[in-house]
Amino acid sequence: MRVLLVEDDPHTASFIAKGLREDGHTVDHADNGRDGLFLATTESFDAIVLDRMLPALDGLVLLQTLRGAGNRTPVLLLTALGEVDHRVEGLRAGADDYLVKPFAYAELSARLDSILRRGSAGGSEPTRLRVADLELDLLSREARRGDKRIELQPREFRLLEYLMRQAERVVTRTMLLEAVWDYHFDPQTNVIDVHISRLRQKIDQGYPRPLLHTVRGAGYRLGA
Amino acid sequence: MRLMPRSTSARLALAVTASFLFAFVLLGIGVHYAVSAMLIQDARELVKVDAAGLVEMYQDDGGAALLAELRDRIASDDDPDAVYALTAPDGRVVAGNTPVPNHRRGAHWIEFTEHSGDGDLRVVAQLLRLPDGTTLLTGTRTRSQDRFLGLMLRTALAALLVAASLGALIGWMTSRWVSRRLRHLDNTAERVGGGELDLRARLDGSDDAFDRLARRFNAMLDRIEELLGGVRHATDHIAHDLRTPLTRLRNRLEEARQREQDADAAARLDAAIGETDQLLHSFGALLRLARIEAQPPVHDEPELDLADLVRDAAELYTPIAAERGIALTTELPSPGGARVRGDADQLFQMLVNLLDNAVKYAPADTEVRLGLQRERQAIVLQIDDRGPGIPAEDRARVFDRFQRLETHRGSPGTGLGMSLVRAILHRHGGHIALLDNHPGLRVRVTLGAVED
Repeated sequence: MRVLLVEDDPHTASFIAKGLREDGHTVDHADNGRDGLFLATTESFDAIVLDRMLPALDGLVLLQTLRGAGNRTPVLLLTALGEVDHRVEGLRAGADDYLVKPFAYAELSARLDSILRRGSAGGSEPTRLRVADLELDLLSREARRGDKRIELQPREFRLLEYLMRQAERVVTRTMLLEAVWDYHFDPQTNVIDVHISRLRQKIDQGYPRPLLHTVRGAGYRLGA
Repeated sequence: MRLMPRSTSARLALAVTASFLFAFVLLGIGVHYAVSAMLIQDARELVKVDAAGLVEMYQDDGGAALLAELRDRIASDDDPDAVYALTAPDGRVVAGNTPVPNHRRGAHWIEFTEHSGDGDLRVVAQLLRLPDGTTLLTGTRTRSQDRFLGLMLRTALAALLVAASLGALIGWMTSRWVSRRLRHLDNTAERVGGGELDLRARLDGSDDAFDRLARRFNAMLDRIEELLGGVRHATDHIAHDLRTPLTRLRNRLEEARQREQDADAAARLDAAIGETDQLLHSFGALLRLARIEAQPPVHDEPELDLADLVRDAAELYTPIAAERGIALTTELPSPGGARVRGDADQLFQMLVNLLDNAVKYAPADTEVRLGLQRERQAIVLQIDDRGPGIPAEDRARVFDRFQRLETHRGSPGTGLGMSLVRAILHRHGGHIALLDNHPGLRVRVTLGAVED
């Protein structure tokens, strides 16, 4: 994948670029808004990682200009302003996702994966999700592993559905909170971990091959 | 019953009106007294002249002529108000048209009241002892003077009534005008205090004292808004410029941890990452707190059913409570029975912070109860646990930033959870009380209900 990184802080930029390259992406870097806009409009990228506060041209203005010109490249907006209204402002301006500083690289990587996948999904919505021998029927709201039916609470169903849609990708705790609980808040303790461990008991206990993995320092991954 | 109005301007108007009326009455009494004295003096002058004429006749023509003259005058109707009496030394009335009242011996001027069919009439009279031992009383009834005084008094009373009504009316209008302008300033101050920082007092362009006060007040608000804007701007920059190096530090530690093979060093790095996360967490909570405190009140926020949020928060915490052997029970009103106006994310954060404390400090195998109900105009949330509770003297302190009670020092947390709860409630116009649950803590949160 080819990623454009627009970030003025050299340390943050080099750390993100390094991570992206290690993940196998090609990275172009601009350290101000004007250069970022020039690159975004003259070349083709699979995704843009964009800082909100930039010299020469504000990140939000850059994004609006880009969307106004009909450019639909997925954009992950980075910012130190984490309030809901800022988040809404960013998403309204055309960002696909929003990441508040400080963030761990794992969070950025997981979110970038998620928006790239969303961009390439297209087509009709599946009614059945499948990961290895785990199957989720979205119409009958039924979960099965192999030939055994798994009883899930409504919230557990949503949690599993989200993890299955992001199969083989790292999903962070914050992403789970936003997608499954739909509140932007700061969880005080390991509440999410307890929900995941309950879900794990239901889908992995008694099976030789676990599907729900903990990724140290990042979050969770559902996959073979 | 209150006799004095509460508003300062009404009290002022009442005081001015009362002082004015008091002065008017005092002046009226003075004028009445002076006019009355002047009229009596005039009457005396008349009597004096009349008596002098009679005495002169007595001296020139003798007692018989005087007696004839008196009888003549009494019989004629020339002056109906003139009174005469001639009394013998033994007190017998020789001639006269008025009863002679008892008087001090040697009195020269007397005043008395005649009772007649026309009502009571005042009489001013002079007593003169004649050389033959008789006493001549010459006087006049003050009928016309009294009539004039009566008219004056009635006019004054009517004027007083008009003045009192006008004074009260003008006082009331003035008080209303003053209080309206003061109330406007007062309302503006109250709303600005509540967070509507862009509100300003109205000016009417008259440049009077109120207008000048409102202008100064607005200038002060401009300055406050500018300062707060500066703080907010600085906060944003601090957030951007300070969190970035912190993030970098954390990521470097994370990178080092990924490569570290030695278990001891890895454990040390894990501890360092944990501490950095804690630092970032505190920093984030502090920034969120500053932002919430700077936000305007929730007038424009959407309506929501607090019961939904309580249900979600309870569901989020049920597994972790169950792990600790705590039963989480909820008592919720029927759908739509706990509607409040507010920011769902912030109210959820408040619930999570309060629940987290309850679950953290409740002993195993006990119950944490969440109750939500409507009480008159308010929605009341109660969270009861059976933990150690908070001593009464420490209850106010737990809302201060970074205040952690001695008994809780070892537990995880930023020391900002309750400060955040208080800031969120303040923004939502709510209140929180920490009470004794005998044993344990009862948290009682009150929010204004949305009227149907």
